[in-house]
Amino acid sequence: MTNRDPILKIENISKKYGSKEILRSISLEIKKGETKVLIGPSGAGKSTLLQCINFLVMPDTGKVYLDGRCINSRKKKELYTYRQQVGMIFQDFNLFDHLTALENVSIGLIRVKKIKRSEANERAMQELKRVGLEEHANKYPAQLSGGQKQRVSIARALAMDPKVMLLDEPTSALDPELVGEVLNVIRNLVESGMTMLMATHQINFAAAVADEIIFMENGTIIEHGPPQEILFKPKNSRTKSFCSKINEIYGDMLT
Amino acid sequence: MNEWIYIQNAVVPALWKGLVVSIELIVPSAIMGLLLGIVVGTLRVYGSVFLRLLSDGYVVLFRGVPLLVQLFTWYFGLPHIGIFLSPFSASVLGFTLCSAAYHSEYVRGALLSIKRGQIMAAQSLGFSTLDTLRYIVLPQAIRRALPGCGNEIIYLIKYSSLAYMITCIELTGQAKALASQSFKYLEIFLIVGFIYLVLVSIASWLLNKLENALVIPGFELYKS
Ligand SMILES: Nc1ncnc2c1ncn2[C@@H]1O[C@H](COP(=O)(O)OP(=O)(O)OP(=O)(O)O)[C@@H](O)[C@H]1O
Ligand SMILES: [Mg+2]
Repeated sequence: MTNRDPILKIENISKKYGSKEILRSISLEIKKGETKVLIGPSGAGKSTLLQCINFLVMPDTGKVYLDGRCINSRKKKELYTYRQQVGMIFQDFNLFDHLTALENVSIGLIRVKKIKRSEANERAMQELKRVGLEEHANKYPAQLSGGQKQRVSIARALAMDPKVMLLDEPTSALDPELVGEVLNVIRNLVESGMTMLMATHQINFAAAVADEIIFMENGTIIEHGPPQEILFKPKNSRTKSFCSKINEIYGDMLT
Repeated sequence: MNEWIYIQNAVVPALWKGLVVSIELIVPSAIMGLLLGIVVGTLRVYGSVFLRLLSDGYVVLFRGVPLLVQLFTWYFGLPHIGIFLSPFSASVLGFTLCSAAYHSEYVRGALLSIKRGQIMAAQSLGFSTLDTLRYIVLPQAIRRALPGCGNEIIYLIKYSSLAYMITCIELTGQAKALASQSFKYLEIFLIVGFIYLVLVSIASWLLNKLENALVIPGFELYKS
């Protein structure tokens, strides 16, 4: 495998809820070390797409390849092994409420990867350090701020050594003053060469870190390309109107 | 004075014997009832359609039929299909099955209160369905169900007195026998009432200690 082969490739993913088409034959691929950002209006299907990629929501049709291997989601073992390699960050963190920050990070290592507890804790501590939370290791989610919770959840995903990470609006549930600390952690991930697919409304941030921006609406990819192109010279009129609207809401970010 | 000697020589030994039997009834029924209740409650939420129907049916039946009728069925009814249970076994069986039905109700409510995001997060780490349940969902649900389940155990202590109706002579049974010999109903049943009160108090204290031991930040709300 060369560097130019995609690590993650999805082909013609479709999903309906009832008769409502949420995703219409979506295809995309990500190469190692790339960061791609999904943008689009609320209801576009960004969350559904991310959840279909690791089969938290079962797509109706379509294929997902990791490292060139097509994933058979009906084989439980294969599915669980695949999910270990795909980190997922949720909008509302979803830390395990009954576990401390450290235990949140180590539990996957202990229960899924079957690593010895002492080793797992050591590794978990390293990951907490990486997101700047080593002093909070023994706090429970209820004792952490939103920004801290999201950083723990990033540490939890990183501890599993994922090949690719899916981030679903990681800063949308945060108070404005806490957004920065989480974006910093994500920026460090980008710099360390992590492969990521992220849905976000932080256009400014996306412009800074993305290799490619994908604009989605009504369950289809309308347009995709380098940030400069999508944000400043969109070909599609809907992309244009979305970007200018986002600009209004989030201030003078693109000027 | 006569009275005191009677209490010392007859009442205390008999009630002591009864108390031992009561405790022998209560402890296994409480433990097995709780465990079965957790299983049934879990099936009611996460089981296949068939298992859900089955477990729901079980709860309807065992909560709906008076416990005494259940005990009579196990003790007097089962021999008709060739199954003979001792009074003690029939009592433990009856208490366990009845108690589990109530426990499952609390467990079910607690399971339903666990946010879907907790499960999605576990699955995204590669947890199997069973491990998600074991390591993520149940530890949280049990904390939330504990006050209700504790209550059920308190009830169990009191309804264990029904065992004497199927000739398992526990505390109440002994008291009944003593009282009908001596006609000292008031004294004897006051003593027995007091003993149940002590049992319930000890159980409450233990349950409270357990709840405190399990309390973690974010779950204090569920402390009774
Ligand atoms: N479980 C479900 N059942 C039915 N419809 C659903 C379900 N989940 C999502 N939808 C619908 O699918 C569409 C896409 O939702 P999705 O959450 O993927 O959008 P999104 O792009 O992530 O939006 P947002 O920016 O608000 O997060 C929406 O119209 C939503 O109502
Ligand atoms: Mg979304």
